[in-house]
Amino acid sequence: MAGTAISREDVKARLAQIGEADILVGIPSYNNARSIGHVVRAVQAGLAKYFPDRKTVLVNSDGGSTDGTMDVVHETTIDDFRSILLSHRVESFSKIAIPYHGIPGKGSAFRTIFEIARALNVKACAVVDSDLRSITPEWIELLVKPVMDDGYDYVAPLYHRHKYDGTITNSIVYPLTRALYGKNVRQPIGGDFGFSGRLGRFYLSKDVWETDVARYGIDIWMTTTAIANDFRVCQAFLGAKIHDAKDPGADLSAMLYQVVGATFDLMEEYPDTWKKVTTAEAVPVFGFTYEVGLEPVSVNIQRMIDKFTLGTRELGALWENVLSPDTLDFLRQLADEPGNGFHIPDTVWVDIIYSFALAAHGSVLNKEHLLKSLTPLYIGRTASFVIEARESSGPEVEKKIENLCGVYEKLKPFLSDRWK
Amino acid sequence: MNFLQRVIIEPFESSYEKFLTFMPNFLTSLALLIVGIVLAAVLRIIFLRVFRAINLDKAAQRLGLFDMLIKGGIRDSLSAFIARIIGWLVIFTFAVVAVQTLKIPTVEHLLERFFLYLPNVFTAAVILLFGYLFSNFFGRAALIASVNAGIKRAGLVGRLVKITVFILSATMAMEQLGIGRDTVLIAFAIIFGGIVLALAIAFGFGGRGIARTYLQRTVGKEKEDRDERDDINPL
Repeated sequence: MAGTAISREDVKARLAQIGEADILVGIPSYNNARSIGHVVRAVQAGLAKYFPDRKTVLVNSDGGSTDGTMDVVHETTIDDFRSILLSHRVESFSKIAIPYHGIPGKGSAFRTIFEIARALNVKACAVVDSDLRSITPEWIELLVKPVMDDGYDYVAPLYHRHKYDGTITNSIVYPLTRALYGKNVRQPIGGDFGFSGRLGRFYLSKDVWETDVARYGIDIWMTTTAIANDFRVCQAFLGAKIHDAKDPGADLSAMLYQVVGATFDLMEEYPDTWKKVTTAEAVPVFGFTYEVGLEPVSVNIQRMIDKFTLGTRELGALWENVLSPDTLDFLRQLADEPGNGFHIPDTVWVDIIYSFALAAHGSVLNKEHLLKSLTPLYIGRTASFVIEARESSGPEVEKKIENLCGVYEKLKPFLSDRWK
Repeated sequence: MNFLQRVIIEPFESSYEKFLTFMPNFLTSLALLIVGIVLAAVLRIIFLRVFRAINLDKAAQRLGLFDMLIKGGIRDSLSAFIARIIGWLVIFTFAVVAVQTLKIPTVEHLLERFFLYLPNVFTAAVILLFGYLFSNFFGRAALIASVNAGIKRAGLVGRLVKITVFILSATMAMEQLGIGRDTVLIAFAIIFGGIVLALAIAFGFGGRGIARTYLQRTVGKEKEDRDERDDINPL
């Protein structure tokens, strides 16, 4: 534990003062002064309202914010509990806001949260993003109760999202994780999770905190680690997920590299587990499911197709080391005549993803180059999906994603047989 | 008789003595060469097995060395290629020692000069090899980044980066070999200075319209981002 955030004397003293706790909610942050106040209030209200007789702790693990994020956490509190229809006595609520140590990234922030959870011997934890606008006190109940009352170890979130949102999740991470590990976890990289103290300690025992997991990929790592190690997993319906406006300059290829790279890395860790899986099973869902009004999403399909065409023209030679000749021919043909019914079928898309996974496994190319070269294909697939789903309702789009999952499962032997 | 003795017999006896002195050296050098050839064959097999055991070919494929070999007309795997080079190096080393054993002054002098120059050749070869690897790596990185940024001439950007890095390494290699040291350096500076100047003139004068459009876009980027950006959240 030497060198970590909780080895600091003031943190040790604070932990000694708290002693033990039942529930811990962690909020990783970096320059979120604008939105974190709302998240802290929602968490405090949720703990007070749904766990009044439990000893609870809120931990803000900060990455060195310069906008006063930690000050906001310290200063934010609910003055009038009657406003949230609460009149009973609340057992105990403590707040800790500390900067984490180690490699900058969400994973390091989570590590500090896990360490505090272990030090306080908590029974259940939850982590929520600090830029959430749609979080309500009910999220805390939904993420923590399945652990406290029903003995689950891991609670993944379930959101209603716009049919065009979450395209990396819908076209790669969700169907791939489901096909590999056999659990139907709809939002494996949702960002808001609940987990047991036991699972938190298991996470800490893993030697990954100096790797890319510490920087990014912590979400898929937590989900996959829980599933692959047979922890009890469920989902909680949280409604809509609305963030602070995302950075428009965020690099899509970097995002793709991080998320898909982390997913492929985990395939290296659990080959014996995922090779055995042949079918996927449903995962229990908690919470009252309801329809949510979603903001419209604007999409420029022509620009997406242009990027796909450019990528196929310029990176085709590079993909010769990765894709089968048939797939490459199909893509080149599509790029030559993109106008007439632009469409990338599910089978071709799954073949592309499995081929990239095998290429990453076989170290055919530098990993970053390989995964960043996937970007034009991903954009093409997204354009194809948007065209296909233009007239579809939410449930119809879910059915399309379900069909894609079926193709991932059907073609899995292609991946398993070639994975040596 | 005396004349015959001095003109024919003495030179013949002298040559015969030299031949007798030379023969052991020659036989020794022949033996050394044969030992070298046998040792080379053994070492070649051993190194080939070691390289295959450590998956050198896989690493070569990842680093782009495999493509380099194919482009260079070499159909062997990297393991076989390096093992073959090691074999030839052993033969070459023994051949040099064998030649020195012959104790011919002119050859010894030539060998000495050759060996003094050899480190430069080796350093230049290493610089060129790394230059090739880096040029491939950075060229590919630039190509992918340009494609993902939607730059229409992405291929040209990638090739320019690749050629630039390779020219830089070739310049360093030639400097190491002492070939036209100043000329190469000046030529390199002129080419790059010329490129930068040409770009500056093209952008500032010939491409005023493009410059204006670019600046307008950059200054008004926020508005454009709002207008043209996709709102899809991929995660």
